[in-house]
Amino acid sequence: MAFINYSSREIQLKIVYYGAALCGKTTNLVTLHKQITHAQKGELVSLATDADRTLFFDFLSLNTKTLPGFTTRFQLYTVPGQAIYNTTRQLVLKGVDGIIFCVDSHWEKMADNVESFANLQENLIENHLSLVQIPYVLQYNKRDIPNAAPVNYLEFTFNNRANRTLAFEAVASTGAGVLETLNAAARLLLAKYSKTPNANVTGLAQPNAAATVPPPADDPQAQPGKAVA
Amino acid sequence: MLTAEDQMAIEQKLAEFLTKSEAQWSALVDKGGNLFAQCGETGSLDLSILSALAAGSFAATHELAKRLGESEFSALYHEGHGQHILMSALHHECLLVTIFGEKTNIGLVRFYSQQVTVILNELLKLASEKEATSGPLLLDGDFLNDKAAIT
Repeated sequence: MAFINYSSREIQLKIVYYGAALCGKTTNLVTLHKQITHAQKGELVSLATDADRTLFFDFLSLNTKTLPGFTTRFQLYTVPGQAIYNTTRQLVLKGVDGIIFCVDSHWEKMADNVESFANLQENLIENHLSLVQIPYVLQYNKRDIPNAAPVNYLEFTFNNRANRTLAFEAVASTGAGVLETLNAAARLLLAKYSKTPNANVTGLAQPNAAATVPPPADDPQAQPGKAVA
Repeated sequence: MLTAEDQMAIEQKLAEFLTKSEAQWSALVDKGGNLFAQCGETGSLDLSILSALAAGSFAATHELAKRLGESEFSALYHEGHGQHILMSALHHECLLVTIFGEKTNIGLVRFYSQQVTVILNELLKLASEKEATSGPLLLDGDFLNDKAAIT
């Protein structure tokens, strides 16, 4: 839950990176820590096993001066993706303000991706939240692999609803699309504080005319970092 | 949400607590990891990391407590060689995190923390009631379509 401190003029917002095991959540934070230059950044903390698998969470704090008169502190967390750490994922989701859901573009990971998305919704319910209230953005990661699932297939699987959310292609290991994804999520959170009313402030993009998206045809991979239309 | 008056009132109580207990630093952290009031000296410690780790640690032990049939462990204490940390549960999803050294001892810190948590719970209750009746923070600007928030 966003915390506003009028005394120190600070707003603290929590963004959680969620997704299946090894989909690129930690890689996103590692890359952000290297890429970000102007925002004031803290140390990247990783609570991980010896095999570099996230055990509890990764944490990175970023301070920016985006809102007039306030310092905005974005607290970025990742959850452990392995199935056995479900309780830990529930704990990390406490007080979440925005979510970035990372999708692994490998074909053989689709079942894990779908299971993780369902798990996200279940764990939000445990925290008395839902994706209707919490702004979220999709990141289709690992777009550089040779047999990546087509983007419109991923859109059909994860974004097939009347109100679609923003989705970004990315290659987290190289940094492509990582900052764009975070900025989209950040803007959705910050939009709540704007006097200008906006239908998208809950994190949902413009509604589609049709309620469902037809099954995709194969299409060539588009450039990572670009928002999916 | 915390007004300047709320923060001052809380920090005053934290200062009194530090004086009595001879602890080094104390802060209020919510269970999501946000630090919203603090008092004392921490040297070069990154407070946002400290808050996130404290909240995560407390949340993990809360789950352990549930597995043992307890509603919650009201306090969590970690003892080091020179520096120690005590985390005490407050109402309204908050923690009181206290760091202390060899100048004092856990008994004294725990004794005064139990006293100050009663007062802090009252202050948090008042702040929460105030938040329920106050309007949302709204600022000029179109942040959704603005330039990049983070560079």
